[in-house]
Amino acid sequence: MSTTKNDPLVQVETTCGTLLYELQIIWDEVGETDADRDKMLLELERECLEVYRRKVDEANHCRAQLRRTIADSEAELAAICSAMGERPVHIRQSDQNAGSLKEELSKILPQLEEMKKRKIERRNQFLEVLEQMQKITNAIYGSSLSISSKTVVDETDLSLRKLEDLHRQLHELQKEKSDRLKQVQDYLNTLNSLCSVLGMDFKLTVNEIHPSLGDPEGFRSISDNTIEQLATLIKKLREIKIQRIQRLKDLATTMLELWNLMDTPTEEQQMFQNVTRNVAASEHEIIEPNTLSVDFINYVEAEVSRLEQLKSSKMKELVLKKSLELEEICRKTHLLPDPECAVEDAIEAIESGFADAATILEQIELLIAKVKEEALSRKEILEKVEKWLMACDEECWLEEYNRDENRYNAGKGAHLTLKRAEKARALVNKLPGMVEALASKTMAWEKEREIEFLYDGIRLLAMLGEYTILRQEKEQERRMLRDQKKLKGQLIAEQESLYGSKPSPSKPQSVKKGPRYSTGGYSQTRPTKKNERMQNDHLNHRHDDDTTFSAFRRGLDIVDTPVRKHSSTPRAVNAIEPESPLLSRKPFSPITSAVSLKSNTTNMLEVEDNGEKSHKMLHPNNDLSYTSPLKTISLVDEENRTPKVMPFPCTPLTVSVPMQTAMTPAPIPFAITKPVEETEQSFEERRLAFLLSKTQITASRVILTGL
Amino acid sequence: MTPVHPPPAPGRELSNPPTEGISNLRFSNHSDHLLVSSWDKTVRLYDASADSLRGEFMHGGPVLDCCFHDDSSGFSASADNTVRRIVFSHGKEDILGRHDAPVRCIEYSYAAGQVITGSWDKTLKCWDPRGASGQEKTLVGTYPQPERVYSLSLVGNRLVVATAGRHVNVYDLRNMSQPEQRRESSLKYQTRCVICYPNGTGYALSSVEGRVAMEFFDLSEASQAKKYAFKCHRKSEAGRDIVYPVNAIAFHPVYGTFATGGCDGFVNVWDGNNKKRLYQYSKYPTSIAALSFSRDGRLLAVASSYTFEEGDKPHEPDAIFVRSVNEIEVKPKPKVYPNPPA
Repeated sequence: MSTTKNDPLVQVETTCGTLLYELQIIWDEVGETDADRDKMLLELERECLEVYRRKVDEANHCRAQLRRTIADSEAELAAICSAMGERPVHIRQSDQNAGSLKEELSKILPQLEEMKKRKIERRNQFLEVLEQMQKITNAIYGSSLSISSKTVVDETDLSLRKLEDLHRQLHELQKEKSDRLKQVQDYLNTLNSLCSVLGMDFKLTVNEIHPSLGDPEGFRSISDNTIEQLATLIKKLREIKIQRIQRLKDLATTMLELWNLMDTPTEEQQMFQNVTRNVAASEHEIIEPNTLSVDFINYVEAEVSRLEQLKSSKMKELVLKKSLELEEICRKTHLLPDPECAVEDAIEAIESGFADAATILEQIELLIAKVKEEALSRKEILEKVEKWLMACDEECWLEEYNRDENRYNAGKGAHLTLKRAEKARALVNKLPGMVEALASKTMAWEKEREIEFLYDGIRLLAMLGEYTILRQEKEQERRMLRDQKKLKGQLIAEQESLYGSKPSPSKPQSVKKGPRYSTGGYSQTRPTKKNERMQNDHLNHRHDDDTTFSAFRRGLDIVDTPVRKHSSTPRAVNAIEPESPLLSRKPFSPITSAVSLKSNTTNMLEVEDNGEKSHKMLHPNNDLSYTSPLKTISLVDEENRTPKVMPFPCTPLTVSVPMQTAMTPAPIPFAITKPVEETEQSFEERRLAFLLSKTQITASRVILTGL
Repeated sequence: MTPVHPPPAPGRELSNPPTEGISNLRFSNHSDHLLVSSWDKTVRLYDASADSLRGEFMHGGPVLDCCFHDDSSGFSASADNTVRRIVFSHGKEDILGRHDAPVRCIEYSYAAGQVITGSWDKTLKCWDPRGASGQEKTLVGTYPQPERVYSLSLVGNRLVVATAGRHVNVYDLRNMSQPEQRRESSLKYQTRCVICYPNGTGYALSSVEGRVAMEFFDLSEASQAKKYAFKCHRKSEAGRDIVYPVNAIAFHPVYGTFATGGCDGFVNVWDGNNKKRLYQYSKYPTSIAALSFSRDGRLLAVASSYTFEEGDKPHEPDAIFVRSVNEIEVKPKPKVYPNPPA
């Protein structure tokens, strides 16, 4: 390289030498003087120096330029680096001064370019982030602040840290945005459900706050203002909801009361089930659409007012019905209805609005309960009164019958009449006893309750007294008649003893025996259980029966009953009551027995209730074949013995006695447990033993036949 | 004397009744199914509300008792000394085990998950029905009794065992090693039936002599003072009482009142607290052998079936009546009427 560099110099030197030589030749030819020659040469030398100096200055200037450029670039690079927060890499290289200036420059320039590019990129990133932040901020704080939309990036600090910082801020903003979105969504959901429950248009309501909220898809306003408005709206709606719930609950309660009062059919109730169901629900439990809409509440209100109307009319009906019921009970039990609670008055009072139908109804119901209670206490006596009245009827009939001269004419149905007469006589004979028993019972009742026993408003005792007097009078009359008759008979006899021709002997003597026999037979021929039971029903009358029989024997003026009538009775009875042939067994049984037979199963308790009865009456012909097994028979005996020793209530109703006393000590040592240890067997054991013996017999039979 | 109520109908009679004496019947705890054991060596399953015979399970001997396990299976006690488990759907019965004498009564305890049987071999046995079949696997324990077991009843963990000789043993199922209480029946005659109150405070015990005793577990004086006995199922004839055995007692699951059935063919309903009879149903054709209320107390099954109290004799055919129960018949009546101010 040095050779190539030296070449032009050498050439220049040669050219300078040749030129100098040429100049010497010229000068020699011209013959210039040495002084001129020196002068010329000096000039030439000076001119040459001049050219050199200029070139050096030029080069010097160029170098300074270059240095400045490098320094500028470096400075810029350093600025960028510092802005971007990076350490400049090249500075150390420039310190070392590794190469020429141009090399240095050429090294720095691409770096600078690179850094500039990066800086622009970074700036764009910043811009982007800031822009987003701006957007979100605008969304959150409202568009009023959106004037500063053009964001300015601080060029001096574009460091990654700052970027990160910004990113973090952005993230925070984004988070807040999403939070707000969520909150708005929550509010909207709440609003939606509230609107649906209250029957309001959700979109309309929401649009009032911000048009964007109604759009389910697009962007939604999330500004403070919106959120605040939403919150207030929700609060407002919730208040409305609570108000309406209260209203609906009130209505539902009223409705339930009305239903209850009027026994509204379930189908009708069904329609409002969704109302009444919510009576006990709390605010947040009511979420069904439209349950609180104005329309719905109005609808329910209409129904309630309809029911109210219905109630007022129904109430009247109900009062009427209840009072009829009361009257009916009074009629049945022969109580005089309380004049205070006359139905007409009550109805009038209701219509005039003077009294509340409900309270009147309540009063009537109380009265019914009271009357029922009283009826229960009267029942026993009433039954007796009934019987007594029936007997009186029969007595009247019998009297009439006895007056009938043609009563023995055998006509159609005469045997029935005869039968009836027979029964009636038996009944009439029991009457005094009946009246006496009734009177004593009534007196006991009155004493216990300290009020008079009224039968259809008349004191029963008065009725009974009247009847007794009447009867006595009648009897007296009858006796008188009989005496007259006897007198007359004597007269006739006297006459006839004088004049002969005696009339046939009077019948009564012979006939009186007939009934006596049959009464005797009556108590002995009771072969069926059913009769027995009937008899039990009339336990109280057994005593009466006795008096009756004695009355027979006393020979009241009972008309003769020819024996042949007896033979005809069973047929007659069969004809009348074919369904209960048993009745034929006891021709003299009271007429009421047919009725009592029907009622006996249900009334048993009441009968038992009478407490002390003739349980203790011993009857010799206890048909033991009815009793169950061997042991039971022995029990029966003991059972019967026990009460004799120590009578105690035998019905569960009255058993309040502790068991120790109920366990009446048996007079004889208990016969089963100890001595019969071996033989104590339950029915099942006996049954199995029987079964086994039977199968054994059949088995052996099989074997025998097989053999 | 006008009748207050018309005599109520006896209830619907189930078709296909057992052909010989009915030993027991029970309603299921889950449905209106009715399990009936009989002397004709069968256990029958009826749907009482549909009046249909759902199954019939033959045994080696007369069946003296049966009970439900759940709606798909039950247990039976047979006179051929076996205790069986019956699976209704398969018509399958497997033998849980044997006693040395006929098995008189059987109960299933939901509390213990065990079957309890009482036998005339003077023992009580507990069985675990979940075990595989085979006596050695199912038998939980054998507990000797003073006499032949006649009746059993369970409530909660209490078990009451009534035996011949009027013994009554009260056990706690959790400790069967010996009776919690040993008692003698308050009644003087053979025990027919024992049954615990649904509230678990005591038991009712009936005898062959028309009497029912109401007893209490609590041995304190106050509790024992409450016990009493009353006569029932008797007939007064010519001034003498004819007494009938009381074969069956059934408590109403809702009201705690109870029905008794006797050899007189009557079913009476009693209010034990108020010591009152609430109702008497019209007479059934023959002795009442067993009674059971359905789970809700709306139905009462009545087995009208001769119980051999008078030995072998002709009698009415056996029948099962299912009657719907009116509230008025079983609901305790208030003691006094409310006295309204006029």
